[in-house]
Amino acid sequence: MATFELYRRSTIGMCLTETLDEMVQSGTLSPDLAIQVLTQFDKSMTEALETQVKSKVTIKGHLHTYRFCDNVWTFILQDALFKNEDSQENVGRVKIVACDSKLLTQ
Amino acid sequence: MEAQGLNQYQVNKTKGMAEEGSHPVVVGLSKHPSGIVPTLQNIVSTVNLDCKLDLKAIALKARNSEYNPKRFAAVIMRIREPKTTALIFASGKMVCTGAKSEEQSRLAARKYARVIQKLGFPAKFKDFKIQNIVGSCDVKFPIRLEALVVSHCAFSSYEPEIFPGLIYRMKQPKIVLLIFVSGKIVLTGAKARTETYEAFENIYPVLTGFRKNQHWYEV
Repeated sequence: MATFELYRRSTIGMCLTETLDEMVQSGTLSPDLAIQVLTQFDKSMTEALETQVKSKVTIKGHLHTYRFCDNVWTFILQDALFKNEDSQENVGRVKIVACDSKLLTQ
Repeated sequence: MEAQGLNQYQVNKTKGMAEEGSHPVVVGLSKHPSGIVPTLQNIVSTVNLDCKLDLKAIALKARNSEYNPKRFAAVIMRIREPKTTALIFASGKMVCTGAKSEEQSRLAARKYARVIQKLGFPAKFKDFKIQNIVGSCDVKFPIRLEALVVSHCAFSSYEPEIFPGLIYRMKQPKIVLLIFVSGKIVLTGAKARTETYEAFENIYPVLTGFRKNQHWYEV
């Protein structure tokens, strides 16, 4: 199954990539294996978000820019309010990138 | 700002309406004997940018654009001022919708052409044309559509189970009117606003003839 590489840019994804880089450079890990780990990370993130995350977040803000190209939506919001069950936070500017997971199963 | 654009149009394009243009509140009874001026709600225009366009590149670089070639073979782009939507085709042809006046539609089309130019295409601005003008107004009395459809059967169709309005296809000017029981009217199909106004002045006396009398026990 194909996966999105979307989550590699998250904090956890960046940390993993850095660690793998160090290991490849020091010779403790082969580049092929490092890539395999990253691919597994993509799969695991997708699966974890699908099955283990139950919380819901609502995001409300002023839509500054939107784009839909290659089946990817991009939104830039200004003065966005992030809300979940027990907290909320204002963010001055936020970029949302959304892909259609249905496209992966096709 | 919009009112200014409108005035400009009236001064420039329609002779004899300059007075009315400078005092938009005053209705020129010579041109509008009914005392009602239909409000323009939507203008559709087309223009040829006269160069082949790479739609994917446009969708990737321009803001507020959508491109889903599986669904529709054009980039859909929007701007906020004048609030409009454009359909941009690979051939270089463009459709601009949503403006409230002819000048606003032209200004919006020019802004889209400018966006395309800034993305590196040698866009021109050829054969700009207003394709459709939609107007609406309220005569403020209820209308007996059942009677109207019978006496104007050559022009009207009224199928309340399909659509609640009476569809009136006027021949001169060639305008389609949607007439509702409430007295609300939609006029569409005009290429110039004068046709919209003329069609309304033609239909107004007919509508007064089919005014629904409200009885004391109905109120």
